[in-house]
Amino acid sequence: MKYISNSAEETKQLAEDLAKTLKGGEVLFLEGDLGSGKTTFVQGLVASFGYTEPVRSPTFALMHTYHVNHPTIKRIVHLDLYRLNDPSELRAFGLEEVIHDPQTLVLVEWPEKGFERDKLLPDKRILFCIEPNNDRTILL
Amino acid sequence: MMILGIESSCDETAIALLQEQDGVFEVKKNLLTSQVAIHALYGGVVPEVAAREHVDILFPMLKASGISPDGEGIDVIAVTAGPGLVPALRVGVELAKVLAWLWHKPLVAVNHLEGHIYSVWGGEKKPMFPALCLLVSGGHTELILMKDHGQYELIGMTRDDAAGEAFDKVAKLLELPYPGGPEISKAAEKGNPTAVDFPRPMLNSGDFDFSFSGLKTAVRNEVALQQHSVEDIAASFQEAVVDTLVTKTMKAMAYTGAQSLILSGGVSANKTLRSRLESTLQKHIPEVGFFAPDLTLTGDNAVMIALAGAYRFHAGETVDPLTLVANPNQRLA
Repeated sequence: MKYISNSAEETKQLAEDLAKTLKGGEVLFLEGDLGSGKTTFVQGLVASFGYTEPVRSPTFALMHTYHVNHPTIKRIVHLDLYRLNDPSELRAFGLEEVIHDPQTLVLVEWPEKGFERDKLLPDKRILFCIEPNNDRTILL
Repeated sequence: MMILGIESSCDETAIALLQEQDGVFEVKKNLLTSQVAIHALYGGVVPEVAAREHVDILFPMLKASGISPDGEGIDVIAVTAGPGLVPALRVGVELAKVLAWLWHKPLVAVNHLEGHIYSVWGGEKKPMFPALCLLVSGGHTELILMKDHGQYELIGMTRDDAAGEAFDKVAKLLELPYPGGPEISKAAEKGNPTAVDFPRPMLNSGDFDFSFSGLKTAVRNEVALQQHSVEDIAASFQEAVVDTLVTKTMKAMAYTGAQSLILSGGVSANKTLRSRLESTLQKHIPEVGFFAPDLTLTGDNAVMIALAGAYRFHAGETVDPLTLVANPNQRLA
């Protein structure tokens, strides 16, 4: 589905709607340019699980983990692979413990920097595009 | 007293030897993996992010530091226990535990952010309490009130991107090389800081939080308009970030009544931020001391961990090497 968002709030609302369909164990890829709304989307999604602390960009830390209270999802892992130079660097993350763990939701910004094509197939790819009028097109 | 400092919370793996005598510190060794000499020891270039998985990089570094294999001459071991990325943190923490256990030396666990704050404690003049610290780096933008040694209160922080991250990402939008911070500053020197009136996010939000994520979009739009040079955009962007950081910090100074102001973290190397914060402080509260680290200690390093470790050791806060665990979400307060 294609959605048009013209504010951070609308992007967060879309994330909230998507969150209701998730059960745990999913891997979501978020793809799009700098400033296209990926982290904003994650903020809306994580907040919809009742997480009240700020969700910040993990670009520097590479990975943030949020513990949430939900019937089937207990942990959200927020990855940002923007700074990786080579997919082999992903080994250092110990991702085998979190990917497809039934109680964990994995959200990956800049997946193309860390996962070679077809190495890991996400349950969902979300594409973010900046329109010339500054709206964001979000493909869910 | 000789303190061995070990830091490995993110990209940088670092080892330092710091000597203390009656509160006077002397840096004996300050080794970083990003240093060329360490690369040579390791046998090639260590990729920035991959360095974290190389446990064995620490041993060539220990050897390069000249420490005796039996730990002779070392009195205390200080290590970053968090926050950071678990696999990275673990490298340093496990080494520190093994050394403390083998050598029968006291072990002190230091918070990485606390280390950045203590990076200004190496000089002769020390900050007075309460001290307000603006910690700005690639991963952090925080205002921390330090009431005494080891006592912290988080006053404000970024709600999205860190200031250093904004510099790096805006540099990318301006097609400047990585790392972006120094490149933006360089370009900004030749630009007009008032050419573009970029937003100052959350300046009047009534709290001490920051938000730098929206600046990316503002810069992108300005680049697309092609009305201003890269130098003018860089200078105007830097002006927006510095103005926001200085204004909010001064508000927090007034609110907390702090007796010293500390600027630390990687972005504290930015000359404009350093001089603006100091001159604004001198203009409005001249009696308050301004502290910023030596330029060799702005980025991640182990000297700052040894400095913080020295104070923790004097406070009797040693930890058991058999039970210390790296904590990726460790908080200051």
